[in-house]
Amino acid sequence: MGALLGILTLLTIGLVFFVVPPAEGLGYYVRLAFLHIPVAWVAVLAFLISAYEGARFLRSGELVADAKSAAAAQLGFIFVILATVSGAVFSKLTWGAYWNWDPRQTTIFVLLLIYGAYLTLRGAMPAGRRRAKVAAVYALFSFLTVPFLVFIIPRLYFSLHPSPVLNGSGLAMDTIMLAVLMAALADVTGIFYWLFRRQTKRLLAEGENL
Amino acid sequence: MHASLWQGIKLVFGKEFTLGLRFKAAWSTMFMFALTTLACVSLALQGAPLEPELAAALLWIILFFAAMAGADRGFADEDTAGTLLTLQIYGSAQTVLWGKMLYTCFLLVCLTFFIVPLFLLLLGAEVAAGGVLAGTLLLGDVGIAAAGTLIAALTTGAQVKSGLFSVLMLPVILPVFLPAIFLTAGTLGSGQLPVHYLLGMALYDGVLLAAASVLFDYLWYED
Amino acid sequence: MITIEFNEVKQSFYGRHIFGPLTAQLKGGQITAVTGANGSGKSTFLKLAGHLLRPAQGTVTVKTESGELTQAALRQHLAMVTPELRFYDRLTARENMAFFLGLRGLSLTEAAYRKILDRVELPASAVDHVYTGEFSTGMRQRLKMAVLLACQADIWLLDEPGANLDEAGRAMVAREVQAAAAQNVLVALATNDPGEEALAHACIALAGN
Repeated sequence: MGALLGILTLLTIGLVFFVVPPAEGLGYYVRLAFLHIPVAWVAVLAFLISAYEGARFLRSGELVADAKSAAAAQLGFIFVILATVSGAVFSKLTWGAYWNWDPRQTTIFVLLLIYGAYLTLRGAMPAGRRRAKVAAVYALFSFLTVPFLVFIIPRLYFSLHPSPVLNGSGLAMDTIMLAVLMAALADVTGIFYWLFRRQTKRLLAEGENL
Repeated sequence: MHASLWQGIKLVFGKEFTLGLRFKAAWSTMFMFALTTLACVSLALQGAPLEPELAAALLWIILFFAAMAGADRGFADEDTAGTLLTLQIYGSAQTVLWGKMLYTCFLLVCLTFFIVPLFLLLLGAEVAAGGVLAGTLLLGDVGIAAAGTLIAALTTGAQVKSGLFSVLMLPVILPVFLPAIFLTAGTLGSGQLPVHYLLGMALYDGVLLAAASVLFDYLWYED
Repeated sequence: MITIEFNEVKQSFYGRHIFGPLTAQLKGGQITAVTGANGSGKSTFLKLAGHLLRPAQGTVTVKTESGELTQAALRQHLAMVTPELRFYDRLTARENMAFFLGLRGLSLTEAAYRKILDRVELPASAVDHVYTGEFSTGMRQRLKMAVLLACQADIWLLDEPGANLDEAGRAMVAREVQAAAAQNVLVALATNDPGEEALAHACIALAGN
């Protein structure tokens, strides 16, 4: 699977650099979007997985679910940092400031705080069933903020950020760009999935050695 | 069943209250923390006028961190005293959770009554809509109590105590915190007063309470 | 009648094997002694029996005629005396008892309270206005017995109930344990004391490692 992902990654990078035309108003900076959008998507996806696996742990008590929840959160933390940094650079290039508490920036920042809090909590607890339970409860409890982040924050703050690309109203994307974006999304999601499986295995092995 | 649940909640509340009266450190830390922070801000400003937005943010930061200094010990104290096991054997999850939540909320409301008038006095702020401010403060206190009680239960077994509680609290409480700041700024005269945010806060408080109630069972029972 | 069944239960903490696989049954009306060297998992056994701990492997089932008991329903049937159990230091004996029994929906009249104190041989005059924080360890142990007696549970999980008690105290524990078993209470008694072991109808010896 690793090799396949490697080829897909090279292909996507090639497409981004040689096929994608400069976007109106953004020029070649638009290339950054092909990193930013997929990592942001994965950051959110990992959050969903972490909460879902947390719920599964609470229901079944299987430590596999806990390892998956932890693995998703650990990777999610890396991806959310990537998304925040790439977003800030993009913001500097297009609006002239790294940070302006745009709703999307606020959302991603809160996500970053949640991931950080979850991992701190895990770090502060001795390994075992109790930690698994506490972490799962926090993953689900912090998940309550999602509707707020998605629906309320955009009303509280004025936004410059383009609307979610996929509903088509924001960035004017032509077919080529959309296709490349899809490739990038598939690629980054694939990378996440690959890392996620490896990390889950590692955490389980660590758990057994305890 | 419901009558006995309410009896149990009253018992837990009464127990917390009695212990609070006999051992004042927990809540007096909270009150003194709030007072100290407020004094700091007021001294630093030297009577300089404060924008409503800034004043509102300051007020909520004082309230939030004072609450953090007082509300985080709910379960950890029982754990160190060894009474947590006794409580687990004799008390049911929901009575303990709601009793403790009610007590935390009561403490926070007392704190609010103590600190907000002082805050308005020292910073010379004028309140345009007292009712809205009272509602905002109450809903904010309920939210902090709801999230705080569950998170205090989470951090019981943690090896790092100080700080962890605030780290876990902040993301969860932001949906209460941000509208509360907007509304408070409004009542202090920032120009807009989006009263319908109160509804959003109440809704989110309800969600927090319900989720805390469901999730606490998992923490309280091992089977 | 109430029963607790251990089915192939294995327990370990952080990779350290404690005991098992263990299959055993505890019955109402019986005193079951749980014996073994220090660290063999006697206290852990009691916690598993009361569902205060989840076994690493295997299952522990608590049953009555009307079905299996879990969570709040199980806790209603449970009473425990262990060294790690504590009462609120800043409440008096009366307040502690009123609180914990109140949580079980029981209220204690003054007369009933005096009677229970008599049974565990705590002089009411000495404890009425004293916080339990000022109790001696022996008095605390007696207060734990008092709550146990008053809460009308039918599962008793006792971890070295005679610890810190004088001879009269140990005799009181033996008397109450036997009286409870006669009333169909399930008694699990973790002990290394030959006198307490002699009370038992059945014995589970934990070998340790």
